[in-house]
Amino acid sequence: MAKKKENPGKKSAGGAQPEIKRTKSGRTKGYEKRQNRLGYAFMAPWILGFVIFTLFPFVATIYLSFCDVSTNVTGYAISFVGWKNYYTAFFRNVEFVPALLSFVEMVVPYTFVIIVVSFILAYLLNKIQVGKGLMRMIYFLPVIIMSGPVMSQILDRANETVQQAQGLYDGYDGVFILEMIRSYSPRIAMFMEGVFDQLTMILWFTGIPIVLFVSGLQRINVSLYEAAKIDMANEWQILWKITIPMIKPTALVATIFTIAQLGTYDTSAIYSLIKTATANTNGGFGFAATYSWIYCIIVLIVIGLAVLVFKDREPKRRDIW
Amino acid sequence: MKKAGKEVQAKTETKAKAEAEVRTEAKAKAETKAETKAKKKTKIRKVHNFKWWRNLVAKFAIYFILICVGFVYLEPIFEIIAKTFMSPEDIVDPSITWVPKSLSLNNLKVASQVLKLRSTLTNTILWSGGLAVAQTLVSALTGYALSRYEFKFKGFWFVMIVLAFIIPTPVTMVPRLMMFVTAQEATAIQLIGTPIPQIAMAILGQGVYSTVLILIFYTAFNMIPRVLDEAAEIDGASSMKIFWFIVVRMSATTILIVFLFSLVWNWNETYITGTLLRGNIELMPSKLDMFNSEFEDMASAQGGAFRLNKAYKMAATLISISPLMILYLFVQKQFIQGIENTGITGE
Repeated sequence: MAKKKENPGKKSAGGAQPEIKRTKSGRTKGYEKRQNRLGYAFMAPWILGFVIFTLFPFVATIYLSFCDVSTNVTGYAISFVGWKNYYTAFFRNVEFVPALLSFVEMVVPYTFVIIVVSFILAYLLNKIQVGKGLMRMIYFLPVIIMSGPVMSQILDRANETVQQAQGLYDGYDGVFILEMIRSYSPRIAMFMEGVFDQLTMILWFTGIPIVLFVSGLQRINVSLYEAAKIDMANEWQILWKITIPMIKPTALVATIFTIAQLGTYDTSAIYSLIKTATANTNGGFGFAATYSWIYCIIVLIVIGLAVLVFKDREPKRRDIW
Repeated sequence: MKKAGKEVQAKTETKAKAEAEVRTEAKAKAETKAETKAKKKTKIRKVHNFKWWRNLVAKFAIYFILICVGFVYLEPIFEIIAKTFMSPEDIVDPSITWVPKSLSLNNLKVASQVLKLRSTLTNTILWSGGLAVAQTLVSALTGYALSRYEFKFKGFWFVMIVLAFIIPTPVTMVPRLMMFVTAQEATAIQLIGTPIPQIAMAILGQGVYSTVLILIFYTAFNMIPRVLDEAAEIDGASSMKIFWFIVVRMSATTILIVFLFSLVWNWNETYITGTLLRGNIELMPSKLDMFNSEFEDMASAQGGAFRLNKAYKMAATLISISPLMILYLFVQKQFIQGIENTGITGE
């Protein structure tokens, strides 16, 4: 932006060739052409790849989801069948809807828990000096070693522990606070049980959000805190009135990272469904396209919701409590 | 000397505190205007004292929470390490959870045999390293274009780059597979089951998490002063020369960061590799995934003397993650810094 403003000033100060044609932004036409040419020259590999390997397949998936694909001698025979695949996916296939629901049930609460937990951890990390680097190193480690097979290893292990525990005292029955919550609302209790069952797995997804939050917290201007302290605000008020509003953009980035990570986390039921459909070369591709397209819509909806939640709104005027 | 000085200081401080307290009591009895100044001083000190204690408690609580959570993070890894060195008797023994009675390297031996450690490790390093080089190169070019040139529809391409990250991989996988199969039949060159498709995708910037890599480069290049480019341009350097001799030379750390991230992500990627490579090259994660069946094969080939137990699998997991963990130990700062950079751009 600064460059844009500077350039016309410089040119007019030089003022040697007033007849040169300028565009709206005050640059010469030759300059803009050169910028365009060079910019696209450097972007070319990416754009080419994007069109071939992402944009075209993306559109093709939408088309294929309405088609029946079968292999023959010359290659693929594609015939348009309308909504048949969708009908099959939702009303005939007994696995698809549960897999989709289980994905939604995983991604929404997980994202929520991951973001909240990683914000709290980052907030605490920001309060200490000694051992901060070491702690951050431990929290970031899962990002490096996390892969599908390793994760399923750990999940297996967790399940075994839970089964053992259930053999002894049947899950979390008898934990007083949980019983209290259960008597109030069984659904919340179930959700909490799920969170505790897979705590390690949830925590392993917090590596990137924590780093983002820590660097976001460090970039908040200290004078804001000082001003608040002079006005006699306590830590709690500072947290809600300054830190959280200022951290919102970072939270959005962290949420998108988290959803993308959870979306590409390839041991979920929907992934295996898509995989088996893809492996079935005779007629499976159409279904695979349908499944993955519906899955994509779900992921995009979840990300859209996240954007809505974290979008900057006009701050409501409220009295300081 | 310093220590002694500190002690003396501390002593005088405690003395002063004691005196101050005595003084406050005295003042409570007889408040005179002349003493108001001293009173103020003591008050400030008292508040300070209180805060010091509270801070200590708060710090203690914070460390407690952070260390507990850190343990939950590392617990699976600890368990993997512990189980790796346990003999079969130790694993069944319920009284042993963490420390094995005797250190047994047998599990590691068997696991590395099943994994065919040497060839698998070389394959995986070459595979992810090669893809990482391709990805780093193209991300650098794209990041440079975005950071230095004001071309038309730049905003649009930015959105597309982010969109390429958000779209889940399976959506594009079916047509990609069909494309490669069609190309394979049209040109009679074997594509599926060879590294070619993924190398092509990496070179054209559609590898694993390419968007993140581009954003890391974009932020880093933005931090290099443009004055240098302009100076070089005046001296007649072409844009390619500016890119190579100024921007690339000045961002060695960034290149390392991006390369390492790409390496790690390619190493851990299983979905695309499984679909396009189909296990034709033996890579670490897929080997780990098929550990059970491979183990059965080997055991039956050797006369069924071995029985699969958890320790073997734990040892295999440890082997497969240890190269990455060793790498991380050395360059953890760079890894964390890389993600911080994307955060800045993302906003």
